[in-house]
Amino acid sequence: MITSMRSGRFVALALLPSLLLYCFFVIVPVFWSAYYGFFEWSGVGATKGIGLQNYAEALQDPVFWRALKNNLIIVAASIFGQVPIALVLAILLNKNSLFHRFVRSAVFMPMVLSTVVVGLIWGYIYHPQFGLVNFVLEAVGLDNWTRGWLSDPDVNMYAVAVPIIWNFIGPYLIMFVAAIQNIPSEIDDACLIDGAIGRKKLLLVTLPMIWNMIKVVIVLCIAGSLKAFDQVFVMTGGGPAQSTELLATYMYNNTFNIYRYGYGSAVSTLIVIISMLMIGVSQVLMRGKES
Amino acid sequence: MKFKKAWVLSASALAALVLLSACGSGNGNNGGGSADTGSAPADEPKVELSIWHNFSGDDLRAQTMRGLIEQYVAAHPEVKVDVQAIPPDGYKQRLKTVAAANEMPDLFLSNPGSMIAEFYNGDLLQPIGDLLEQYPEWRDGFLPGAFEGHTFDGEIYAAPVNLSPSSIMYYNHSLFEQYDVKVPTTWDELMTAIETFNANGITPISMGNKAAWVAQSTIIGTLADRVTGSEWFLSAVEQDGAAFTDPQFVEALGYFKQLADAEAFQDGANSIDNTQAEQYFIQGNAAMTLGGTWTLTNLAATASEEALEQVGVTVFPAIPGGAGDPNTITASTGQGFAMNKDVTGAQREAALDLIYTISGPEAQQQIAQSNTLVNYQVEVDPAKVTPLFNKTYELVTSVGFTPIYDAYLSSAGTEAVNNGLQELMLGGDPETVAQKIQNAQAEAVGN
Repeated sequence: MITSMRSGRFVALALLPSLLLYCFFVIVPVFWSAYYGFFEWSGVGATKGIGLQNYAEALQDPVFWRALKNNLIIVAASIFGQVPIALVLAILLNKNSLFHRFVRSAVFMPMVLSTVVVGLIWGYIYHPQFGLVNFVLEAVGLDNWTRGWLSDPDVNMYAVAVPIIWNFIGPYLIMFVAAIQNIPSEIDDACLIDGAIGRKKLLLVTLPMIWNMIKVVIVLCIAGSLKAFDQVFVMTGGGPAQSTELLATYMYNNTFNIYRYGYGSAVSTLIVIISMLMIGVSQVLMRGKES
Repeated sequence: MKFKKAWVLSASALAALVLLSACGSGNGNNGGGSADTGSAPADEPKVELSIWHNFSGDDLRAQTMRGLIEQYVAAHPEVKVDVQAIPPDGYKQRLKTVAAANEMPDLFLSNPGSMIAEFYNGDLLQPIGDLLEQYPEWRDGFLPGAFEGHTFDGEIYAAPVNLSPSSIMYYNHSLFEQYDVKVPTTWDELMTAIETFNANGITPISMGNKAAWVAQSTIIGTLADRVTGSEWFLSAVEQDGAAFTDPQFVEALGYFKQLADAEAFQDGANSIDNTQAEQYFIQGNAAMTLGGTWTLTNLAATASEEALEQVGVTVFPAIPGGAGDPNTITASTGQGFAMNKDVTGAQREAALDLIYTISGPEAQQQIAQSNTLVNYQVEVDPAKVTPLFNKTYELVTSVGFTPIYDAYLSSAGTEAVNNGLQELMLGGDPETVAQKIQNAQAEAVGN
């Protein structure tokens, strides 16, 4: 018999290796990169301490703010696109019949694809000359709606948000399905007895029961959207003329195309700070809703 | 408590393992520099040499270059050559990393212009002029200006093994004939051609500018040189008496904007890959495309012979009243092998020998026959190369060369030009764009 104290120690020890690895590869680099942000550094050669100049420059650069705005578009698209779609699908598809399982797998499919593949596929779908979108629009007679979806700065941010939504509905769907199926069957019976069926049951029982899961999903959405990078990088590289620049592509381009490692580090530190702020704000907002 | 100790032990073992493997990769980099230490004692039986290049691909040129190095290795058993072929995408970063750690290879392939200048300024190179003196016929075989991008303070630091023009104008004969359009030699003729092709539903110029270097390397370099002349550009790069806000550069940007406004490029050019644009051209959807030697290779590899026969090559049209010579193409004067400053004695002899084997007259001949343009006078056997290569070779030997923008501008300046051209295509204002380019370059040069 292992006493509870001993098992507590055992758990701590068992966690230690991964904790060490996590510190070594995640926590330490975050602080390291914040530190590099204080230097003028081209990746090789001499470094020059310049205090907060990199951070100040980033905050004064209109492109940084445009990147943040674009990131917020992705955040909004995720929260108002992914979460409702995943929730509706989960409510409709929570039985374990063959058909329901098939549709759930189909929705989950894009998640299994490499994000680079997703970017390439959608790059072709949006292709100005032989892309599917323009082809369909022409076929139904909406010729004047056709455009270079990824090169027209009026629409390209929304165009790149669609594949991101499409890509990540799957895992949220699975989480919602799991949450709904975790509602004890006694409650279902109680609902039946009390006459809570249909929309009433959904609003008064199901949603409150999975509210915690919705909160988790929203936090994951925000965190995921702020580090969005791969699909956009593959589809547009942040262009044209930096119109689809996200914080992450902005950081990447500055670090690896212009060789400003110090500046890139400062930007990535700002990304961490912004992410923490947004997650904090969303937590506070949702707590308010609950009470 | 035994339990606990075991866990602490295994955790620390794990940590040690992580640290050790980190060291392991460090040692890998040392490999490149180990040759330096081996060279010092004279009684060493073998000379060791390390050489880095980026001919890692499977194309004809890369195979030829690797073959030339192997040829040297086979002929010189007394020299131990450590060859590293690094994929082009990470090549420059890898070199910069070892340069920082002072573990440079003895010989390495470098681009002319800003890349070799960086190593020269870091005091990491030595000139190879004596090798050229030793073989005067070889030296005189190079085309005029071949050494320009590799020369500092009157000393030559590398001999080019290729020539890379970046703004050859490829055009489709039959489309020009079909719509009775003259292959443009002046700006007005170009604008007329654009109008006619657009009226007939043909894209005038195919361009894939998603990776934004394309418009810069294939169009603005040539176009702006026609307007400003090369001297102005080189002074503007140095921020010495010229600036990118000068009226002639704004005018050049204005010409580019005219192209975009006249719908010279296909819809959504900024979201299309360069290779897709080349395919669009070779399939007869576009009348012209601008490109470099890579276009030549790509087209030769993918297009049918009939399609290739339709293709002609020429230079970008002249611009009225411009300061530059219109019979020119922007070109990189060619990559060459540069030598580490620390190479001396017998090792240096061997290194020079190796350079001569891979860039001497015979090597240049072989490289040319791999459908690669060289900056050297060679007699190419027409049977051994494609007809389009022959046409292009004839063209480039009859024109002058002007600097490619990104070979001379700082990385930040290049990025500003690339983004600025996309901005112009989206309706941006030439003066604002010029100001951004000027700011980026001025800041980079100031550092």
